[in-house]
Amino acid sequence: MKIPIRMIGIATSIFWIFLIIFSVSALYSMKDIRIDLGEPRNSLTPDNRMLFSIPVSIVNKGYYNLDHVNVSTEILDEQNQTIAWGCTFIPVISKGQAVNTIQHTEPNLTTLLQSYPHFLFSDTELRINTTVSMKAAEVIPIQLSSSHSMPWGAPLYNFTLGTPEFAPLIIPGSTARYRVTVPMSFENHAFFDLTGTVQVRMYNSTNVLIGEEQDAMEARQDSSYHESLEFYIPATHLTIDGHFEVFFATPFFNYGPLVVPYGR
Amino acid sequence: MVDETNSNSKTRLRKMVSRALKATIKGVILYAVYFVLMQFIAPVLEFIPDFQQMVEIFVTVYISLVIVTELVSGTIFQHFLNTAKAFFVIVYVMFLLRTGIFGLTVENMSLTVDVRLFLVLAMLVGLLGVAKSVMQAIDYVNEKVEVTHI
Repeated sequence: MKIPIRMIGIATSIFWIFLIIFSVSALYSMKDIRIDLGEPRNSLTPDNRMLFSIPVSIVNKGYYNLDHVNVSTEILDEQNQTIAWGCTFIPVISKGQAVNTIQHTEPNLTTLLQSYPHFLFSDTELRINTTVSMKAAEVIPIQLSSSHSMPWGAPLYNFTLGTPEFAPLIIPGSTARYRVTVPMSFENHAFFDLTGTVQVRMYNSTNVLIGEEQDAMEARQDSSYHESLEFYIPATHLTIDGHFEVFFATPFFNYGPLVVPYGR
Repeated sequence: MVDETNSNSKTRLRKMVSRALKATIKGVILYAVYFVLMQFIAPVLEFIPDFQQMVEIFVTVYISLVIVTELVSGTIFQHFLNTAKAFFVIVYVMFLLRTGIFGLTVENMSLTVDVRLFLVLAMLVGLLGVAKSVMQAIDYVNEKVEVTHI
């Protein structure tokens, strides 16, 4: 009986010593792990794709390797809906090694703007959740999460079609027509220059298409756009109220119809 | 007869002093080990504030049990206390397991460290300790029975 007891005693002591030394050294080495998450930036790729970039720097000066390093980014709108997700996997960061990487997330701008039209017209905040998870000393899971918010500028902020101005056009020998002038304005708060076309269809109160106008638009980043659209409409079709249908076609998105009533 | 009684009480006193001395030395050594290890963990502890408190409670109770066990060594109570000590390790580890994930939030950043694997290992080693204590108790009772028969 004495020998087994002694053996168990020795085994227990060895296990305790190993466990304590390993856990203390692992915890101690954690203080030498540096994880820096930089400020998120967004830019546009040459093929007109939106690119969110977050610089991530991991310096491992600890005693153990860092394994399964996973940097993931999730972009959420103000209703906590995920609009984009991306991750970068680094198998191992050896002891004494530093890794600088840029976590890229590419939200599909076309899908984003077409699926969530409020991004076209309203400035808002995007929340960017960045998570760095890894295994320190191969067995201790560590996770660092950070949440940034980033302003989103709408490309068609405060889009307005003003009150139509009707001017009679009297041309002898032809039916009476009206020239309808509609002021159009918006501010481009987006991080990209907006170019494309805007097509406006004018309907009268009986939903009959009475005029159509297409115009090229070009609004640089952080600039206002003011333009007047002109319709020439037969007097017989004109009613004092109705609605416009607006269609936008740009390299980034196609959107429409945006219904804007008039005369009400 | 009086001399024999005096000699017995002297021996008992010597034993008591020796046990107290041993208990003190063991307590001091354990505390010293704890103190040294804490110096290594200290930089990390500021990020896991609850952890220090947990370790302190554990070390205090464990050292107390070691001292008391040493004071009653050579009796059946030593084995009871050894078993209690091993059970204490397991129970405390189980208590910690509920919160084996330590987290810290500073401004918009949160750090989570999962030390549950260590706690499970500690619990398993604690079970070995229980087995050892139970075997020691059985062995002690066996020896007593043999001595009585002789």
